[in-house]
Formats: sequence, structure tokens, C-alpha cells
Amino acid sequence: MHTFLNRLKYFLIAAVIQVLLFSHIHLFGYATVYIYLLFIIKMPRFATRNEQMVWAFALGLVVDMFSNTPGINAAAATLLAFMRDYVLAMFIPNGITEDFTPGTRVLRWGAYVSYAAICTLIFCTALFLLEFFTLSHPLHLAISVSGSTLLTLLFVIVFESLNRRN
Amino acid sequence: MRALFDFLVKHNDWFLFLLLEGISLVLLVRFNNYQGATFFTSAGSVAGNVYSVFMDANRYFHLKKENDGLLAQNLTLTRELSELKEQLVEYRNKEALQNDSLVNSIRSGYNYLTANVINNSLNSVNNFITLNKGSNDGVRSEMGVFSSDGIVGVVYQVSANRALVIPLLNTKSSVSCRVRGSESFCSLSWDGGDPRYSNLIDLPRYAQFATGDTVVTSGFSSIFPGDLPVGTVEKIDDSADGMFYTVRVKLFVDFSSLTSVFLVGNDDYTEQSNLEKNKKQLKVGS
Repeated sequence: MHTFLNRLKYFLIAAVIQVLLFSHIHLFGYATVYIYLLFIIKMPRFATRNEQMVWAFALGLVVDMFSNTPGINAAAATLLAFMRDYVLAMFIPNGITEDFTPGTRVLRWGAYVSYAAICTLIFCTALFLLEFFTLSHPLHLAISVSGSTLLTLLFVIVFESLNRRN
Repeated sequence: MRALFDFLVKHNDWFLFLLLEGISLVLLVRFNNYQGATFFTSAGSVAGNVYSVFMDANRYFHLKKENDGLLAQNLTLTRELSELKEQLVEYRNKEALQNDSLVNSIRSGYNYLTANVINNSLNSVNNFITLNKGSNDGVRSEMGVFSSDGIVGVVYQVSANRALVIPLLNTKSSVSCRVRGSESFCSLSWDGGDPRYSNLIDLPRYAQFATGDTVVTSGFSSIFPGDLPVGTVEKIDDSADGMFYTVRVKLFVDFSSLTSVFLVGNDDYTEQSNLEKNKKQLKVGS
């Protein structure tokens, strides 16, 4: 129960920051920061996959409702939650068997950033493919995916360094 | 049977995954249908109310700019009014009112409403704008939306107290336009990317115009009255097949700082669209 309320708190914070602030910032008309991915990236290692997918789906749906893209964020976030365990498994150091929250307290900076980068890339690729729904503008698509991935990653790193300090 | 059951239990995460993705795709596809539900959009009650509160606070920061825009518009309108009054006197003197043409042109058949923008996006391929007026205030779908600078878009879906607008910055948007001074008309459509520009496609090659000319609405669509400003001609290119011109248009409206807008509805809209519907049926039937 306690974990549930705690997670609900982060859910609401992520949703509010995303829809009221970051969804309205778009660099050069291409790149947007999807800071709410931190909610999925920071899920504990042993959270079950079903649990992760339901939370991610719900958060994606909330973001969708506010940005008039019904289903797009929900689908991409669900996909990320589904694949996250495979991605995280690649970066866990040998010998760590207990539960942890992915971050630089457990992982090295390089490992954490790579993990976050792959997660963000999966999400952004799925998101923009669904949004464009065509492959006829490959350049525009590539710029949107890479721009949003890099920008989101920048904010993930900033968040991590602030979080580490206190 | 038991093996099947075991299989389902063992791979339950796959099924949940497919279920959730399925729901998402249904939402995505249904929204693209014209009669989509408004609940899952910012015109719905949940997101709409949050945005209303947020934008009420935000509007104060734009008051000065807004005020300047309204003053400028006021000035133009006053100037136009005095010009028209002069003309009216002139016509009256010439007893031109006998044939009623001027009176008819003044009673244009359009009615107007005002509304505030409570949500707006620029970065997507299909952007939307949410307004704080809905069917209770007399808004209905397919009303034209414009600001003091120029046209903004067309109302798409309406809930009781809010309306969702397809702005010019949406690949599904298409508005009938012409270059001022030339008679040939064509449609304005956006291909994504820079929110300051849009394109006129399939403009006939015999049209006479130059860069810097003003683009206005044609008045043929029954959504907008004619001669509302849209933008200026920035660049003229040939279309892919070389049969038409494609024109890059710099839009007058700054979509990033849009706060209040006007809505325009054609009184005869239902009549005209019913007529046009009949025309379509006829085509299918024949």
C-alpha cells in the first residue's frame, strides 16, 4: 500500500510537470522533452512487467489527453515498459542480486546514461512513427526522433546530478 | 487444455502488452475518425478544466501584447468604418441604394463569437487548439476561427463548454485561399515543420502574383467569409509535376502567442452544406 501511494505521488508529479511545462517547450519545432519517461526509467528493478506496463499505459494516456494525441503516448510508453527489463539487464553489474532503483548510486554513470539513452530512443522512435504514421518524410522523422531523444536525455542527466547531490 | 492454460499464465505479460497496445491503437484510430469522442482530448472535461485554470493565470502575462493588438485592430476598423460611412453617403447621394446591393453586402449573413485559447500545441504534425467556448455558447463544428492578425483554423469537435480547433498547423487542415489581386483560388495546407509557414498548393500557372503579395481567404468554402488575411507570399516554386505553382506562405498569426480568437459562423451554412451534400449524392447515384 505504501509503495502504491508513493508511486502514485511520482505519477502525478511526472504527469503535471510533463503536461503543464515540458509539453509546451519545443526546440526548433522538432524536439520535445519527454521528462515523464523518468517515471518508467526509475521503476525498481523487481517491479513486475505487468505492473510497469499498467503504470506506463496510464501515464501515457494522461499525457495524451492533454496533448490531443489519444493513444500515441500510451502505446509508446507501454512498449518502453515492456522492453525495459531487457535493457536494464544489459547494464546491471555482476554480483548485484538485490532490488534497486536504476540510478548512479548503483550503476556507473556510463551504464546509467546508456540505459536511459536506449529507453528514450525506443520510446521516441515508437512515438514519432505512430505520430507521422508514414515513412514518407524520413528526414523530418529522423530529426524529430534524435532531437527529442538527445534533449530528453540531457534532462535525465541534469535530474540525476541534482538528485545525487542531496 | 492444461498445457494451453499454463501457456497463457506463463506469458500473461505478453497478453497484457498486446491488450494495452490494442487499446492505444483503437483510441488513435477512432480519434482520427471525424466523429471521435472528445473525452480523451483537451476538450474533454478532465483535461479541459485543468487547462482552463492554468490558462486563466497565464493570460495575465500576455495582456499587454493582447491589448496592443486590439488597439491596432480598433484603429483599422475605425478607419474602415469612416471610409465606409463616406462611401455610404456618396452612394446615398447617387441614389444607388435603390438597387440594395450595398445593403446586401453589409448584411453579410455571418455571425461572430469570441473565445479564449486554453490549450495550444505547435510541435506535433497534427496540432490542435482548445477554446473555452462550446455548444452551450453557440459554437458548432466547422465554424471558422481567426484572430486580429489573420485566420487560425476551423472548429473540429465541440463539447458542452469547449471546442477543439484544427489550426492551419495541422496536416489535415485545408483552407480555400487566393492571392489578393488575382482571381484564381487554391488550398492552403501545412506539411509539418516550421510553425511560421504554410503552403499554397496547386495554384494555376496563369495566376499573376509576386513575392510579398498578401494571401487572403477566397470565401468559397462557406466556412470563412472572403478577404480575411492569411499571410504573405514568401517563395514561389513549381509543383512536383510542373503543372502548378507551390507557394510558401509566411503566416500572419503567431501561433505561439495566441490567446484570444474570434469565431465566425455562416447563417446559411446548413443550407449550403445540405445543398452540397445533395450534389455529392447525385454524383454517386449517377
